[in-house]
Amino acid sequence: MRKKLSKLQSNKCCYLGTLENPSIRDFLTGRIWLRDHSPYSEEQINQHIQLGFISNLPGVQKLSHTNYICNRCANKNPTLFIKYHCAACENYCVYCRHCISMGRVSSCSDLIKWIGPAPKKSSNHPFTWTGTFTPYQQKAANELIESIKENRTHLLHAVCGSGKTEILFPAIHECLKQGKRIAVATPRTDVVLELAPRLKQVFPNTNTQVLYGGAEIDNSYAPLVIATTHQLYRFENAFDIIIVDEADAFPYTHDETLQQAVIKAKKSSSPIMYVTATPSDKLLSQIKKQQGGYSFIPRRYHGKPLPVPRYDTLWRYTKRIESGKLPRKLINWTHAQIQGNRPFLIFFPTIALMEMAIPLFQQLDFNIQAVHAEDPDRKEKVLKLRAKNVPGLLTTTILERGITIPNVQVAVVGAESGIFTSSALIQIGGRVGRSFDCPTGDLVFFHHGISVEMDVARKEIRRLNQTELSTI
Amino acid sequence: MSAICLLCSKPLKHQLTWNRFIFNEQQPVICPTCHSKFECVKPEQQKSPHVHALFHYNEAMKDFLHQYKFLKDIVLKDVFRQEIANALKNVDAIIVPIPMHPDKMKTRTFAHIDELLKAAGIPYTHLLEKISSESQSSKSKSGREQSAQLFRLKLDANIENRSYILIDDIVTTGTTLEQAKAILIEAGAPSVKALTLIQG
Ligand SMILES: [Zn+2]
Ligand SMILES: [Zn+2]
Ligand SMILES: [Zn+2]
Repeated sequence: MRKKLSKLQSNKCCYLGTLENPSIRDFLTGRIWLRDHSPYSEEQINQHIQLGFISNLPGVQKLSHTNYICNRCANKNPTLFIKYHCAACENYCVYCRHCISMGRVSSCSDLIKWIGPAPKKSSNHPFTWTGTFTPYQQKAANELIESIKENRTHLLHAVCGSGKTEILFPAIHECLKQGKRIAVATPRTDVVLELAPRLKQVFPNTNTQVLYGGAEIDNSYAPLVIATTHQLYRFENAFDIIIVDEADAFPYTHDETLQQAVIKAKKSSSPIMYVTATPSDKLLSQIKKQQGGYSFIPRRYHGKPLPVPRYDTLWRYTKRIESGKLPRKLINWTHAQIQGNRPFLIFFPTIALMEMAIPLFQQLDFNIQAVHAEDPDRKEKVLKLRAKNVPGLLTTTILERGITIPNVQVAVVGAESGIFTSSALIQIGGRVGRSFDCPTGDLVFFHHGISVEMDVARKEIRRLNQTELSTI
Repeated sequence: MSAICLLCSKPLKHQLTWNRFIFNEQQPVICPTCHSKFECVKPEQQKSPHVHALFHYNEAMKDFLHQYKFLKDIVLKDVFRQEIANALKNVDAIIVPIPMHPDKMKTRTFAHIDELLKAAGIPYTHLLEKISSESQSSKSKSGREQSAQLFRLKLDANIENRSYILIDDIVTTGTTLEQAKAILIEAGAPSVKALTLIQG
């Protein structure tokens, strides 16, 4: 309020009540927000609605007799709407269960959007990256900028460890220079946490927001937003470019409303840049149909080939672990890594099996730990592995992507299990040999019978390694 | 359109067990994995002879309560309907829910205790009303113990010569239930016990 008055005194042609509150403007621009959860008072919001700066819409809207749509997450699945007698409006109300973890949206709760003047944009975005590109990286970086200029969708198909984050830097810088707003979205919180410090480091003067479940909300306008795809439910018509990193990761590919969220969060003419090491056939054909740009990086930045998995039998491993014993081959493999002082990851198909195995591994080395999706200490444990404070981790597929640990050795237990799809196996293999100093490492698929997916993964890795290097 | 688990969204496989067939038990609305995360309070673990609690306050229960009360996901009223029904269906007593303040009711949009009972098919009577709208959890434990009167008898309340059972979601210090019980005893109730979903 005080800010507004001082602005008034310096600008006599305006009178009280027609200026927007810059804080509300900066916060709400591009957002679609639950009115009851906004950091501003009812009075302030009402005033801005009267001035035509904020629009107000019901959270849930009726489409037909039995069908509804959630105006925040665009969910239309009838089983995810609940109708009940509501004590607030003293009538029958419908709420959306699909996005309820972000605060309940119902037919009697309003959503607000900013429709007033746009925030002041800065084009001063110093870019402080000093690295150099390989010819492959340089070509892809140029192609991305080309697509941004042409406003077309683009797929960056880059093998694990090709330095794809760096390839995005010049494209992001180009957008920022043009005063555009850009979101880097990814299905995985781990990937958000890995990306955020790297982007903040190379764009030190750019206001950057990092959004994921449980993150603090700040009220400023950020031209660069790094978020889980889930958080994009809370944006509408906001971004000039959206980069979807790890576009093939769960749950993005399985949840149509998340794909909807990306489309809703961007401006209607804005392009999407997809980044993945393992594009699905669906994504490839979608890019082709939209005549989007395509960049392919078959080589890691250090130029060494991708590690090719070796197969090893581990008959009846489930029974054996259930009976309280680790298979001999698994003991030997783990011992070898501990002896060689090499950090290791051992992937398990289920949490249940991993939890049975962890005490058995701790008999080999007391410091071995396990991580899974609901583990609140996941981040710390990965950092400990990187710092060599723990010799190795047992994990579910949650660590299949986004993490880089120098010289890590990888074993997959039960590689034939359904959860290990070819793209999951390629991603897991992509953890090995990422660093310049240790470009190789062991990648072993322990199995109880070879699956088709295992063979597809190995074939694809070999194909990538054999791709002609002279295509530039 | 098959049913999904209300907590983890995985598809539910409905099984017709003998209990469900003979005793007309309700179909579960959560999957066996989610159900196994809740811990029943065993008879020797009950903290008070007058208060019967159904579940411990563990991580899963904390999440449940958060989603039901704080996120206002009213459909979760069905999650424990069988357990609540089993605890109360053959009891000869008048069931009295701990009431909510009308202001609180407006913000939560439903009475969470009443809804648990409705879902379990247990008839109940409101005999008490909440005086202060102050939230229990916002006060410290010691502050709660010496707090002022929380309830009063409703004007139209008619106390009979029968047993009474108070219902609350969670018992921590027991102050809330003690106060409610004292009012009913004073009004002439011969015996007052309590059932809570959770023991904190
Ligand atoms: Zn929704
Ligand atoms: Zn309502
Ligand atoms: Zn479940």
